[in-house]
Amino acid sequence: MTTAKNLRSVPLARRLLSATWITVGLAVVVTLLVSLRYPIILVNSLVTGGMWALMAAGLALVFGVMNIPNFAHGEFFMVGTLVAYYVFTPIHKMLLKNPSPLLSVVAPFAGILLAGVVGAVVGLTIEFLLFRQLRRRSKEQWVMNTFLLTAGLSVILINGTQLIWGTEFKGIPRYWEVRPLVLLGVSLSVDRVVVFGIALVTILAFWLFMRRSSLGRAMRAVAQDEVGAQLMGIDLNLVHMLTLGLSSALAALSGASLLFMFPSYPTVGLKPLYVAWYVVILAGLGNVEGAIAGGFIVALLQTLTSYFIGVGWEDVVPTALIILILLFKPSGLFGSEVKGIWEQ
Amino acid sequence: MNRNELVGVEAARPARFRWGEWPVRVGLLALLVALPFIPPFNREDMLRWLIGAALIAAQAIAFDFTAGYINVVNFGFAAFVGLGGYTSTLLAVRLGLSPWLGMFAGAAVAALVGFFTGALTLRLRGIFAAVMAWFVGLALLGLTRNLTDLTRGALGLNAPTLLATADNRPYYFIIVAMMVLTYLALWRVIRSHIGLAFRAIGQNLDAARASGVDPTRYRVINFTLSCAFAGWLGGFYAHYYGILTPDVMATSHTVEVLAVAYIGGRGSLWGGALVAFPFIFFVEWMRTNLVELPGLHLVIYGLLLILVMVYYPGGLAELIRWAGRRLRRLER
Repeated sequence: MTTAKNLRSVPLARRLLSATWITVGLAVVVTLLVSLRYPIILVNSLVTGGMWALMAAGLALVFGVMNIPNFAHGEFFMVGTLVAYYVFTPIHKMLLKNPSPLLSVVAPFAGILLAGVVGAVVGLTIEFLLFRQLRRRSKEQWVMNTFLLTAGLSVILINGTQLIWGTEFKGIPRYWEVRPLVLLGVSLSVDRVVVFGIALVTILAFWLFMRRSSLGRAMRAVAQDEVGAQLMGIDLNLVHMLTLGLSSALAALSGASLLFMFPSYPTVGLKPLYVAWYVVILAGLGNVEGAIAGGFIVALLQTLTSYFIGVGWEDVVPTALIILILLFKPSGLFGSEVKGIWEQ
Repeated sequence: MNRNELVGVEAARPARFRWGEWPVRVGLLALLVALPFIPPFNREDMLRWLIGAALIAAQAIAFDFTAGYINVVNFGFAAFVGLGGYTSTLLAVRLGLSPWLGMFAGAAVAALVGFFTGALTLRLRGIFAAVMAWFVGLALLGLTRNLTDLTRGALGLNAPTLLATADNRPYYFIIVAMMVLTYLALWRVIRSHIGLAFRAIGQNLDAARASGVDPTRYRVINFTLSCAFAGWLGGFYAHYYGILTPDVMATSHTVEVLAVAYIGGRGSLWGGALVAFPFIFFVEWMRTNLVELPGLHLVIYGLLLILVMVYYPGGLAELIRWAGRRLRRLER
């Protein structure tokens, strides 16, 4: 296995020829070439890519810090769409009666932000009610058990939502009633531009939080070595709650931001869940920064597939490619420590 | 902690052949055979429920064979079931092959795909293998949806039925026989030296490897066998219900089998089968009688799975073993 240490001793030319950089380089070249003729592909992959990056970063964070492979991550996305819908629609209706330019600009942001907050609260509650109880009882086969636990959780959240809010599609055509922008010859709705902006700002804030704040440092410490972190006086319970809260807030935020593309529906989280998992497996389990880059790569793959091969194939082709890549590089593109069974 | 470890060892030990348990097993089997003649269960709708329950029970046995013994959760299980069903149906529709043979062809194809999936992914840690099996399942689902020339996509295929009769009872006996065969075959493997290797790998991989057990090889054997039975049962699904849509491969079906297997008790084979019957009845009863609350049965599913996972990891099998020990102690 190539660790970070002996990777540094490899000369630059060899390093650039590694599977990682070949893939990343190819992705960039393909994007540039394609976007010369079909700028829409670039635009679409950037917009969805930003949100996939948020989803995947949350998923990778929870795996990295808490060792939980979260199968219910898509349900936080669903919670986000639901909250945004129920915040935005009444305000929108009110605005139709008595228009107010300021409120119509701010209202979507309020919905999206509130979705993030509710997502965080749901995440905290789940950590407290579920994972802490299991952690207290047994840590044997933790990864597999929590995976199954989240599978059960996903069933409950999907069907609980269906029981309470029904199965009809709750969507909106757009957040902002503004004429679309024209960029690179592509007509582009303002929603997409703003959503891309939200993704960039959130990624930056998240990165700063993880790198610069003391809580972020504590989280990284727990990810590296739980016992060591505890010995340094880090409150594990706090870090765990914070991690799941942050991760579900990110997922809910991306759900709320994409409400105009994904109308709220009990199983709306399924597709984002697959995608987040594609990304995380591609980037390497638990690798947060890799997940952000991977989000854009997978979005590009999907857009290319649905544009050139056909809608409906955008799950098949990326999956096949990911399986292929992993044959050569089982630890993921960015080489985090996914160990084979030969090296426990 | 100590108690838990002991329970783990106990749960992983296969059922030893004891004469004392024999009457119980024969009695249960006799009950299963007699069930479709006993009044509330001889109605046609009840018979359909019974068949559904036996099908889930058989799948839970095949699922537990990997999940409970080598600790790899096959998250694409439903896709392998569907693959078997589709293979068998396509052979019957296109080439006129008898469904009885087609079911075995379905098993062979599912085993083949399972073998390649396993060979590629089982070198890695359990969670990685689980997620990759899930991806393979998603890819298979996507393929059946999109290869409309072959599978008619979401419209589904009309599968010829196994028997000419519309009577449900013969089908019930067929699926119960298939369930018992699945159990006996997999139980036989678990009792053999191969099964010993499975249990060693499931309990402590390093120790197993140090004793000269090649983990990848045995895990692939196990995975392939489980997929073969999944495909076989998929054949029954197709030729009983007579209609096959890509939906059979959905992850929610895997979760259903998984929940039954885990509530029944991991590493027991029979636990899931035992739970399936009352459980599916309860679920179907809720589905028909509480129409105004759709999805409530699934919420209860999830809750039960979580409660068992957190508070009683041994499941029903562990409860029964405990009761059995108490009984034996009382006898003395």
